[in-house]
Amino acid sequence: MTTTASVNTGDGRRTGAPVVSFENVSKNYGSVRAVSDLSIDLFPGETVALLGPNGAGKSSTLDLLLGLRNPDAGRVQVFGTSPSQAIAQGKVGAMLQSGGLMEDVKVRELVKLACDLHPRAFPVDQVLAAADLTDIADRMVNKLSGGQEQRVRFALATAGANDLIVLDEPTTGMDVSARQAFWAVMREQTRQGRAVLFATHYLEEADAIADRVIVLRQGRVLADGSAAEIKAKAGGRRIVFDLDQPVGEAALRELPFLSSLEISGRTVRIQSQDADATVHAVYGLGLYPRNLEVAGLGLEQAFLAINDAATAEEAAR
Amino acid sequence: MKTLVKLEISRTLRNKKFVFFSVLYPVLLYVLIAGGASEDELVKGTKLTLPLLMMVSMASFGAITAVLVGNSEKIAKEREKGWVRQLRLTALPGRGYVASKVASASVVSLPSILAVFAVAAGLKHVRFDAAWQWFALTGAIWAGSIVFAALGVAIGYLATGDAVRPITFIIYFALSMLGGLWMPTTTFPQWLQDIAAWTPTHAYAALGQAIEVGDAPHLKDVSLLVAYLVLFAGGAAWLYRKDTRKA
Repeated sequence: MTTTASVNTGDGRRTGAPVVSFENVSKNYGSVRAVSDLSIDLFPGETVALLGPNGAGKSSTLDLLLGLRNPDAGRVQVFGTSPSQAIAQGKVGAMLQSGGLMEDVKVRELVKLACDLHPRAFPVDQVLAAADLTDIADRMVNKLSGGQEQRVRFALATAGANDLIVLDEPTTGMDVSARQAFWAVMREQTRQGRAVLFATHYLEEADAIADRVIVLRQGRVLADGSAAEIKAKAGGRRIVFDLDQPVGEAALRELPFLSSLEISGRTVRIQSQDADATVHAVYGLGLYPRNLEVAGLGLEQAFLAINDAATAEEAAR
Repeated sequence: MKTLVKLEISRTLRNKKFVFFSVLYPVLLYVLIAGGASEDELVKGTKLTLPLLMMVSMASFGAITAVLVGNSEKIAKEREKGWVRQLRLTALPGRGYVASKVASASVVSLPSILAVFAVAAGLKHVRFDAAWQWFALTGAIWAGSIVFAALGVAIGYLATGDAVRPITFIIYFALSMLGGLWMPTTTFPQWLQDIAAWTPTHAYAALGQAIEVGDAPHLKDVSLLVAYLVLFAGGAAWLYRKDTRKA
């Protein structure tokens, strides 16, 4: 069973049938609306980050995708079939935040179990090595540290040739070097044409790893695009400079494309939709900015900005 | 699926305390109940002595303890810890999960049956006319315990971690009593005997009692047990696949 080798062309054009498709999916828990009329398509070869504050519906979305819960409305399809069917065919590997491990067994025994259950399994030793478990393969699962447990979960998720890997906050509990090693392995997986979907609250992770970021809030898609697009949506770039002498705030307010302005002493901090034009206008005012820095917004700031904008919009309604 | 069965068996055996007490428990009860009983006086309404009758009852009771209580608690806990959730993300079919749990429970129930037999034969001089009866009894009690192992899986799926123990024990005591595992049902009032006749434990005990007097197990009891097995195992497999309620 092969999926047509189609890749994200990098400029937003996606080819091939979607790997995952959510069509107007809703899920309630009692009166709480966890997922609300959600429609998303994921494509082969994409690395997608699912971002959002706690309670945004990330875990519920992943549960629906994996068939661990059934939607109240709408349809979830994975490789053109139901989630459970896709899993039975060995196309999906998943690492859950809430996924417990079997107790009273050795690491190797558990990984071997995952390999034996996978219709398109890799050799056990290869899976152990890829998850950096070879050294602790003979240790009992219930005697592992949090980070080691997380690596075992990762091994279970990558025991065979999946076309889609789903990860729910995969690097929680890992130190920095473990996290880097983890993503190095993950990048290798996407290079082989697999789609990866991960939920995270580490924004720098989404920024560095994902080629597409979906921001969720209250079970809805707030933003969907490349990390750069999301940042642009949130108010472009950040400009910082010092001035020799204080300048009236009113003059600076007149600068074009301004989305925020902050003056502290002689230091001016600006967020601009078009940094080139704004900087040009600063010179146009006859000012001489020193230590000029123009940088992109971090995804974190972008995320906060988008979130604030959505909150304000709701309040206005 | 074979790996899972093997792994479940080996991790059950690693839990030495559980194995030890599961084997010890029915033996102790047997000694308590039948220890002082006469070796040749027949129990009212039967053709059997108390030590013989209690040997089969306690072997059955011990087998049920090992499989029912062990399974339901373990499974409810595994569900709570999220292992079952993880397992559901593999290609393992529902029946594979049930089969592995039943198999791992069975490796504990066999020694508990044999231990009761050994004590009954050694201490109370229980003997049969033919050697085949020993083997047939072991086989019948062991095979019959599978029904209760499946019930244990189903209970483990219906109950939450903190409710599973009381729920299991209510079902377990009610079935043991009604099925006549603790005392012969001939002492019950007629209406209760009518109900008891349809319990899986009664059919289970009847398997052994038929062999004790040298008969083949009755077709009614065997078919009743098979029906219960299909019900419990099918229900358990269905619950495994449908467990979308809680992590």
